[in-house]
Amino acid sequence: MTVEPIEDYALKTRVRKKGGLQKVGLVGCGNMGQEIAYLVARNGINVEFIDLTEERIAEVFIELNQKLDNIIDKWGPTESEKRAILSRIHGSTDYSNVSDCDLVIETINNRKPGTSLELRKEVFRKVEAVVREDTVIASNTSTLIISELASVLKHPERAVGLHFLPSAISGGVVEVVRGLHTNQASVEFVEKFARTIGKKVIPLFESPGNISTRLIVVLINEACETLMEGVASAPDIDATMRLGFGLQFGPLEMADRIGLDKVIKWMNNLYQEFGERKFKPNPVLKRLYRLGYHGKRTGQGFYVYEKGKVVGQTITCPEIFVHN
Amino acid sequence: MKVIVMNCGSSSIKYQLFDMEKVRVLARGGVEKIGLHGSFLINRRDDGDEVKLEGEIYDHQQGIEYILGVLISRKHGSLKSFDEIGAVGHRVVHGGEKFKGSVLITTEVLDQIREVIDLAPLHNPPNLKGIEAMQEMLPEVPQVAVFDTAFHQTIPPHAYTYAIPYTLYRKYGIRRYGFHGTSHRYVSQQACDYLGCAFVGTRIITCHLGNGASMAAIRDGKSIDTSMGLTPVEGLIMGTRTGDLDLGVLTYIVQKEELTLNAANTLINKFSGMLGISGVSSDMRDIEKAAAEGNERARLALAAYAYRIKKYIGAYSAALGGLDVLVFTGGIGENDVSVRAASCEGLEFLGIQIDPEKNEEIRGGRKGLISADGARVKVVVMPTNEELVIARDTMEIVKGMNQKKN
Repeated sequence: MTVEPIEDYALKTRVRKKGGLQKVGLVGCGNMGQEIAYLVARNGINVEFIDLTEERIAEVFIELNQKLDNIIDKWGPTESEKRAILSRIHGSTDYSNVSDCDLVIETINNRKPGTSLELRKEVFRKVEAVVREDTVIASNTSTLIISELASVLKHPERAVGLHFLPSAISGGVVEVVRGLHTNQASVEFVEKFARTIGKKVIPLFESPGNISTRLIVVLINEACETLMEGVASAPDIDATMRLGFGLQFGPLEMADRIGLDKVIKWMNNLYQEFGERKFKPNPVLKRLYRLGYHGKRTGQGFYVYEKGKVVGQTITCPEIFVHN
Repeated sequence: MKVIVMNCGSSSIKYQLFDMEKVRVLARGGVEKIGLHGSFLINRRDDGDEVKLEGEIYDHQQGIEYILGVLISRKHGSLKSFDEIGAVGHRVVHGGEKFKGSVLITTEVLDQIREVIDLAPLHNPPNLKGIEAMQEMLPEVPQVAVFDTAFHQTIPPHAYTYAIPYTLYRKYGIRRYGFHGTSHRYVSQQACDYLGCAFVGTRIITCHLGNGASMAAIRDGKSIDTSMGLTPVEGLIMGTRTGDLDLGVLTYIVQKEELTLNAANTLINKFSGMLGISGVSSDMRDIEKAAAEGNERARLALAAYAYRIKKYIGAYSAALGGLDVLVFTGGIGENDVSVRAASCEGLEFLGIQIDPEKNEEIRGGRKGLISADGARVKVVVMPTNEELVIARDTMEIVKGMNQKKN
């Protein structure tokens, strides 16, 4: 059988539809970046991610492999689908590789204490320097203000907040955040993208913490307060909320899953923005954090984890002995 | 009239170009690995010209563009102009209760196909993509949808009703629909023609055994029962699908493995069946090879596969009140001598008796009688040709449409 290049048989009349989504750029490929990369690639869209070093990029692929294997263990995609998904994901350290992306999402994961505002601004600047004029630039931040990030752009109207909730893969929603300058076209484009990868879109106007972070941190903090007062043990607080209100996880286990470092960072940002006491991280939270107990990822948080399962707790409920 | 028949899978497109006046296939081929590394298109013209086109094919639309590109090319093409194309026929897996036959595709029809996407999550989405892409490429050409479910719309309520609260049927249309209708319809007719018996009055069981597999009980040319149900996961054991399964098993697994709905769905659709039991492959040839080399689980999978078919032959003989013709078709049904033999083994009491020599001879797309001389039930191997049925339906509908216009 003769073999020929397929390009010779393209119909010249067809122009690739404008507004199509061929390639998505990701800057920062930590846990969240990887989950987003998987979601995007699973839906047939190519992903180009940027990370700091070549070593880190190699690591990302090892982690991605592991993630996909875990999903396969849970009867997710098949082996051949896994190969197809991975073949759509490319990584580099060079921003010019995202120059032809239709959408670039900043998903940097800064584990250092303090705000990541300046880091994220720097990413926005670098991305804008290489992409087309109509490329939408999004940030996965939930507690920083899009307008502030966009202030470094020549075209701030293209900046959108695109907040994937923790556990991006199984979570059903994304928050699409409109900043002061964001134009309708950018919002619509991002909303279409979110629907393409199977998410329900929650449109909202910028406000620190959006809906998700603002509400969940208060619940977590109040759970810490309840624990600290010795009202009940961590498992009992969690069970009450889980079984009583149909939540998948109780607030303390949820905090462990999100990562206590992240929860504290969110709260500091919100406390700074709103100045309200309810956003001030509880001492219990801070103490665990300082111990290096950052939650499920580190093996210890409010609970002790082995192979991803809760096997114990780190804090017991203080008991008051009443002497009659 | 020239008709293109399209069958779009999740990462593949199969197509045939028919000349309906001459009832001839002018070209046939397929696009494979859409959106994956190493995608290609193979086109075979009826004069023997064959070409493999290699390069990136990102999506169905691009695949279809290349198909049209090669069909009209000077070097390997069969068309001078797209004006020659009178219609495009699409295989659509699920038509729900709406479609009792093939239909012209309109915006309304497309919406209705979208409504039933949940019922065939593996199949309807790529079918839709193919239709949409074709509409974009050839907006003037009428397109027809031929449904896998349509032939089974004659199944009576007592056979299609599930024993679940009836309101769920009313609310969501949950009932048995069945699939491979085009194939069951075609091979049962062809078998009757081949045997020279009348369609009316003949009791037929058809076994369509491919990657997906289903059986149908056919009386007087009408389907009265079929093994697939609301979704293509019920009935026979398939490459990666469970077929019949105790519902308690699924709820038990979901609880034990803490599965989401999606994961449960993939578990029964992609990780089960022959692949699940054997752990070898979903491909019958690989499993048979492993079994021959002594792999116990491969043997078990084969035994379970044939046993399930045998059970259905018994059940449908009862449903039909006897049996006259048993038909094997589909990739496995047409080629796999041992599956045919094992499925019919011990069914002499029903009048089914295979002649091992005849059985051995019929494979590779040939048709033929494989039952022993004098056996009461005629066992026939009949290659299916869903594309031809789709092409014929498409032509008839478009002709009818043109007559109305004039």
